Amino acid sequence: MTTRPLPSIEGPDKPFWLGLKQREVRFQRCGDCKTYRFPAARLCAHCQSENCEWVAVDPTGVVETWCVFHRQYFEGLTVPYTVIQVRLRCGIRLFSNPVGIQADALRIDMPVEGVFEDVTPEVTLLKFQPTKGGLQ
Amino acid sequence: MGERASVAVVGVGHTRYGNMPEYDAYDLGALALKQAIADAGLKFTDIDGLIVNRIPDYQRFCEIAGLDPAYVNTTPGQGRFSGICIETAAALIRSGAAKTVALVYGNNGRSSGDRYGGAGDTYGSGGAGLWFPYGMTSPGAFHALMARRHMALYGTKNEHLGIVAKTFRDHAALNPAAVMRTPYTLADYQNSRYICEPLHLFDYCLINDGGVALVLTSAARARDLAQRPVYLRGYGIATALSNSTFPPDDFWRSPTREAAANSFRMAGLTYDDISTLMIYDNFTPTVLFSLEGFGYCDVGESGAFVEEGHLAIGGRYPTNTSGGHLSESYMQGWALNIEAVQQVRGTCGARQVADCHFAHYMAASPVVTSIIYGREQS
Repeated sequence: MTTRPLPSIEGPDKPFWLGLKQREVRFQRCGDCKTYRFPAARLCAHCQSENCEWVAVDPTGVVETWCVFHRQYFEGLTVPYTVIQVRLRCGIRLFSNPVGIQADALRIDMPVEGVFEDVTPEVTLLKFQPTKGGLQ
Repeated sequence: MGERASVAVVGVGHTRYGNMPEYDAYDLGALALKQAIADAGLKFTDIDGLIVNRIPDYQRFCEIAGLDPAYVNTTPGQGRFSGICIETAAALIRSGAAKTVALVYGNNGRSSGDRYGGAGDTYGSGGAGLWFPYGMTSPGAFHALMARRHMALYGTKNEHLGIVAKTFRDHAALNPAAVMRTPYTLADYQNSRYICEPLHLFDYCLINDGGVALVLTSAARARDLAQRPVYLRGYGIATALSNSTFPPDDFWRSPTREAAANSFRMAGLTYDDISTLMIYDNFTPTVLFSLEGFGYCDVGESGAFVEEGHLAIGGRYPTNTSGGHLSESYMQGWALNIEAVQQVRGTCGARQVADCHFAHYMAASPVVTSIIYGREQS
C-alpha cells in the first residue's frame, strides 16, 4: 500500500487531473486575452476576465532549474529524488520530476516533453523527459 | 528635512533564544515588550498602537499585557512581515493615527515542533499542496531552485554560500545572545549534509523560540526618552506577488531595486554612507540575491563580492553582525532590525561596527522591504 502524497483531484483542477489520466495536458485559458493559467482561478490575472475554457496544450517546454531532495519530507517518496521546474511553451510553469535523466546531466533551458505516469487507478502525474532528438 | 526622518525607534527588547517549551508565543512577545518599553523609559499606558506578529491573537495579547491601544492588528508569521510592520508603524505615526507603536513578535516554533516542509507546508501562494505529489515542498527547496539557477547563469559556487554561512557564524561567536556560537571552517560547511542540494544544512536558518519587540514614536517625542533615538531615515517596499508560486526569473531584482531606490532617496544617502547591512538570511542564497538586488554589487557578481570578504566585521559592509538567522536566532527579521538599532546606538560590544552611522535592513522575498536606520535625523 503506497503512502505517497496524492493530489486532491476533485477540486477546481479536476479537468487537469482527468486530462492527465486521458494522456492530455489541459489548462484553463482566458476566453479573452488567451493567457493560460494553473492552478484554476476565477479571474485571468492578466486581464481580469471571467471567461475561460479548458484546452489541451503541447506538453513541451524547457527546464528552468532543479534541486535534489536529500531530506525525506514525505513517506512513500524515496530520497534522493530530483524536482525540476519546467516552463511549457504555453507559458505555464510546473514543478515535476525528470524521467530518464540523472540530476547531474540536467541543464538550464534543456528541452523536455511530458510523460504520463499512473500512480494510482485515479491519479496520473505529469513528468518530463529530455525531448527526443534534442532541440526541436 | 523633518519629513525625512520623522519616526524613530526608541525601545528594543528580546528574550533569550533557544528551546523554551515553558513559554508560548504570547509569553515570549510579552516579555520582549516589557523590556522594550523599559528600554525606552516608557509605560505600557503610553502604547496607543500595537501590531503583533506570529502571535495568534491581538485580543488575547492585549489582555495579557493590559493594553487598550487605539490601533491594533495581527499579522501572519512570515519573515517578510517584520519589515512590513515597521513600515506600517511609521505610516501610523506619520499620519497621526497613533503616537507610540509597539511591534511584538513571539515565536515558539522550536518547542512546538514547527516544520517547514512536508504535509503541513504552507509556504508560497495559497499553500504548496499541489506540488506534494512530485515531492516539491519547503521554502528551502524554493531557494535551492533559485541557487541552482544562479549557479548555472553566473558561475556562483557552493563555497560562496559557505563563505556567507561561515562569516555569520564568526559574528555569532561575538554575540552572547546567539544560539550557535562555535566557528567552523569552509571544509566543515562542505561536509555538512545536503538538505536540498545545492543547499547544505549550514545554508539553512535555525528554528528556535524567542520574542522580540520594538517601540517607535515620532522624532519629536523621541528626543525626551531614555535612549538615543535611532531614526528611520529611509524605507521602501515593493512586491512581486503575481506568479509568486515559482521563483522569480530575476531573483527579485526588480522589487529589490525599487525598494532600495526609494529608501535611499528618502534617506538622502548613498551606498557610501552605509556602515553595516542586515540581510534577511532565511537561506544563504537570499544574501547573494540581496547584495545584487539592493545594489551593493553588480548582477551575477555576488559570489566574487562575498569572496572578497566584504561581509566580515572589519570588511567594507559588515553584514548580520549578530549572526543573523543562520547562527543567532530565527526571529524572522525582527532580531536583525534590533541589531541594526543597536549598531547605530553603538551598544554592540565586541561585534560593534566602528563609527556606525547608518545600518541598512533588507529582505528579499515576494514582499521586499528596505529600511535605513540612522543616528542623525537629517
